[in-house]
Amino acid sequence: MIEREILELDVLFVGAGPASLAGAIHLQRLLRKSGQDASVGVLEKAGEVGAHSLSGAIVDPRALKELFPDKSVQDFPFEAEVSEEHLYYLTESRKIPFPFVPPSMSHHGCYVASLGKLTRWLGEACEKDGVDIFCGFAGTELIYDGDQIIGVRTGDRGIDKKGTKKQHFEPGADIHAKVVVLGEGTRGSLTKNFLHKHSLMKERNPQVWAVGVKELWQMPAGTVQPGFVAHTMGFPLGHDVFGGAFLYGMKNDIWDLGLVVGLDYKNPGVDSHHELQRLKTHPWIRSLLEGGKMVAYGAKSLPEGGWYSIPKLSVSGAMLIGDSAGFMNGQRLKGIHLAMKSGMLAAETISEAITENNFIETKLRDYEDRVKSSWIRDELWKVRNFHQGFDHGLIGGLTNAGIGLLTGGRGWGFKDRLTSIAGHLRMEKGMKKDRYKDLQFDGNYLFDKVTDVYHSATTHEEDQVPHLHVNEPDICITKCVEEYGNPCKNFCPADVYEMVPDGDNQRLQINFSNCVHCKTCDIMDPYQIIDWVPPEGGDGPVWINL
Amino acid sequence: MKIAVLVKQVIGSESALEISDDSSWVKEKNASFVMNPPDNYAIEEALIIKEKIGEGEVVIVSQGPARVQKVIREGLAKGADRAIHVEENGQIETDPLSIAKSLTSALKDENFDLILSGLQSDDTGMGQTGVLIGELLGMSTATLAIETDIDREQIKVKRELESGWFQWVKLKAPASVSIQSGINQPRYPSLKGIMGAKRKEIKVIQSQNAEKKQSLDKVFVPQTSKETEIIETDLNSTVDRIVEILKSEVKVF
Amino acid sequence: MMNILVVVEDNRGSMHRMSKEAIAGAQKIGGNITALVIGANADAIADQLSSIALENTLVVKHELVSSYNSDGYTEVVKQVIQSINPSIIIIGHTYQTRDFMPRVSARLDIPFIPDIIGLEQDAYTKQVLNSKLNSSVSSLSDMKILSFQSACFSAEDMLTGSSSSQNFDVDLDPSMVRSSSEEPFQESAAEVDLESAELIVSVGRGIEKEDNIPIAFTLAEVLGAEVSASRPVIDSGWLPSFRQIGSSGQNVSPKLYFAMGISGAIQHVVGMKGSKNIIAVNKDPDAPIFEIADYAVVGDLLEIVPKLIEALKTEKDL
Repeated sequence: MIEREILELDVLFVGAGPASLAGAIHLQRLLRKSGQDASVGVLEKAGEVGAHSLSGAIVDPRALKELFPDKSVQDFPFEAEVSEEHLYYLTESRKIPFPFVPPSMSHHGCYVASLGKLTRWLGEACEKDGVDIFCGFAGTELIYDGDQIIGVRTGDRGIDKKGTKKQHFEPGADIHAKVVVLGEGTRGSLTKNFLHKHSLMKERNPQVWAVGVKELWQMPAGTVQPGFVAHTMGFPLGHDVFGGAFLYGMKNDIWDLGLVVGLDYKNPGVDSHHELQRLKTHPWIRSLLEGGKMVAYGAKSLPEGGWYSIPKLSVSGAMLIGDSAGFMNGQRLKGIHLAMKSGMLAAETISEAITENNFIETKLRDYEDRVKSSWIRDELWKVRNFHQGFDHGLIGGLTNAGIGLLTGGRGWGFKDRLTSIAGHLRMEKGMKKDRYKDLQFDGNYLFDKVTDVYHSATTHEEDQVPHLHVNEPDICITKCVEEYGNPCKNFCPADVYEMVPDGDNQRLQINFSNCVHCKTCDIMDPYQIIDWVPPEGGDGPVWINL
Repeated sequence: MKIAVLVKQVIGSESALEISDDSSWVKEKNASFVMNPPDNYAIEEALIIKEKIGEGEVVIVSQGPARVQKVIREGLAKGADRAIHVEENGQIETDPLSIAKSLTSALKDENFDLILSGLQSDDTGMGQTGVLIGELLGMSTATLAIETDIDREQIKVKRELESGWFQWVKLKAPASVSIQSGINQPRYPSLKGIMGAKRKEIKVIQSQNAEKKQSLDKVFVPQTSKETEIIETDLNSTVDRIVEILKSEVKVF
Repeated sequence: MMNILVVVEDNRGSMHRMSKEAIAGAQKIGGNITALVIGANADAIADQLSSIALENTLVVKHELVSSYNSDGYTEVVKQVIQSINPSIIIIGHTYQTRDFMPRVSARLDIPFIPDIIGLEQDAYTKQVLNSKLNSSVSSLSDMKILSFQSACFSAEDMLTGSSSSQNFDVDLDPSMVRSSSEEPFQESAAEVDLESAELIVSVGRGIEKEDNIPIAFTLAEVLGAEVSASRPVIDSGWLPSFRQIGSSGQNVSPKLYFAMGISGAIQHVVGMKGSKNIIAVNKDPDAPIFEIADYAVVGDLLEIVPKLIEALKTEKDL
């Protein structure tokens, strides 16, 4: 019987994303400079750094330049500088350019990038700096000593689908750390419980989310301009579903095509994967993708709530950074630079905490002050009511955003703070319009969900307890069927949830092996009975450059 | 007992494969690389043998460019003691004799008692390296071991034969044995193992260029010149046609 | 005309099927073909070879190689090669071949190109990257060893004729044999070996319910096939996971893949599209499986298969 491993570290970052990696690099430097010796580790549930990273993305190089002042922009692993940018309103067949791109939405001076590539690059820099990155380990529980968080427990490995221990069963390890920094990304699983247990969202707006689904298309040589950027509104989402499409030109003739769909729509039939396929029926998109081949697919949720949805950022022994804290600029569609900066600011507080040997809340709270006096706040304050305006549809949202540009972010021009409700509460009961009755999948250009999932290269140990916990499965076949028509099969972009015949009835089948770890189900389930927990370490997508 | 484990880094099976412009191999740029899955079993078997004997060392041996250090570290994280990286750059080498000669020249002064290898690689799948090295070093050899009974006194392996047959073979030391996948359940690396891997020795040796005896000239997508015959008729005719197909075309009986 | 040496394997007293295929392949390549047979059953096998179109058969009955061992066989084959100087040495790609042919390759410093699935002009086709791609491999040496994958050639295409055999004396020293083997034995396989099955009957969701699964087993029995399934059947618990074919199951390329009620999702197809003959039965004329099938049977499997079973039973009785 293998015993539980115990590892002692000084600082543990959970999640090897841009926030944690930037934080770890910055922290190592600060520790070296102050002559301190401290062990820093990063926990990552994917088998390798970058495998679970997905974004558009357009990156504001600001944080990278601060982190690597000696490097030039050419050294960063970007695809290309944004060379041209377009903003379009699409109808089913037409494309109408916006007369101008508001400066705050301009991507001038930013770079098209693959988050996976960037994360891998940061990971290498991190390891060179002596930080240990533990891949294939999922953090499943925070460890407490009274009120103080003193570490993270990782998941058990080697349990079969009935819950019995297999021959090579290994209990999860306990990693003790003076500070645990939660950089799990969007809708982190440890973070979700952490926010609840410590009431960190008190007096805040509930977080609102969106899901991004994307496909990478390999095009013939010379047909894609790296650095090309286009964003669209209108078709296929229309005015009642928040979101829009993005099209970025990457290196090696790859088109990066995606759709962001707000997870606060009313129609339970909305299916972000299907919307992406509908987007491709637009003649302009079709003409661009002609002659190409879809090579990768992925999806991930993102926090859209903005400044007022950011929780209290620390308790004794733990802090929140990056998307786990909700540092995303919905209007600029950028969050990576904010994530990195938050990691760096956290590092500054931690370095001091180590010097003072003080890790209780009153000390770690300094991080929040740092954030409030940094450019993170400057940037997010101006767009603090951005998403909330869209509660009134597309025109309302644009109007609110437009006025916000003139009033420094006030809601409708005068309200300091617009409130909102959690997105899943907006879903309306009863039969709704079928948005996809004309959608036909041909397998070459428009793909059904199962085919797209195949291209997300996601695998899971088959013989394990499904990591999607549906806490009251009876609801699925009774209330939910009637009230919402089982929206899980629609909002999951990976075909995880399926209602299958079971004699005369139906039952919910969970194809957990398809899961791409986007967390949409945890967010959007109208009854909030789905709990996403990490599967066995190493499982999940194997994204290379998404 | 000194045990070497031959480990190869190969393109991951989830990677979308893109044939290179000159069709000589696949593009490595956007591919993900992993430890050749069969080699995982060989590493585990080596660790089990060392633990059973109570002493000795397990040495990971891998040939390839700098990136193979990642799979070497994985082996070290699982418990191997040290490693030898035979550095080779440029296009992937596909001639098994060439590869074996290069590895042999790196290993010959080590005098290993046992060399374990996976049954074949997931990339070229030539399935010969372990046996070739065994022959070049004058060792006895066996392949497809589904069980081992190895200690200081003896080397016995249970070879898997076709159709559910097996055979125990006793070999004189030193021996090179290839391991059948599924022989054991490979352990997970521990956190301390991952941390410790950084401090273990990886000796880097430049590969020796041996004269090539065979060459893999190009890769291509398998052609399926398929003409589908559609059978959509009444029940009896359908069944008759299927029987006909099974008899004359597929030749089942 | 070049010399070709075919090394024939003993399958419990008679010629291994893959050795017959190897001879058919050698005959296709063309040359003076010598067969080599080794071991206690060599005479019986030489007898079978006497009615095949060959130049000659060499029989090695030395006591040190009366049963297979890699040291002995390696040295025997080496000495035969040095005696008759073939340009090509041909053998079926069996487990035994994998066990000792690389030794011959290293001992004589000649290339061994294994597991060939096709011949081209001066090159050989071999699968790579988990059979996702094929490759073209060529020899850079005057002498080469080739092994053919099962069914690359057909035993039925072996040309008959008449040939003679003679004993070949080998020089073996007891000290060169460094292994000793016990008797081979069989173990009831806990799992079915789908990867080496020649004929497979595979079941998909179209089987509708667990009660219908026996239909697949009956068909399989009549054909002498193994049973496999696509993911939905496994997920429903109707068959155990070792029968799953696909990206998260096994990868097969049998002579016959009979797919009943399988839609053909890509996750399944990648596990079987290399099958040599695919017969698919599905109610849905647009089922994706029909794109990769050789024979697309559009109809209700629950009607067709039972009738097919009866018809096959009758056919077998004839």
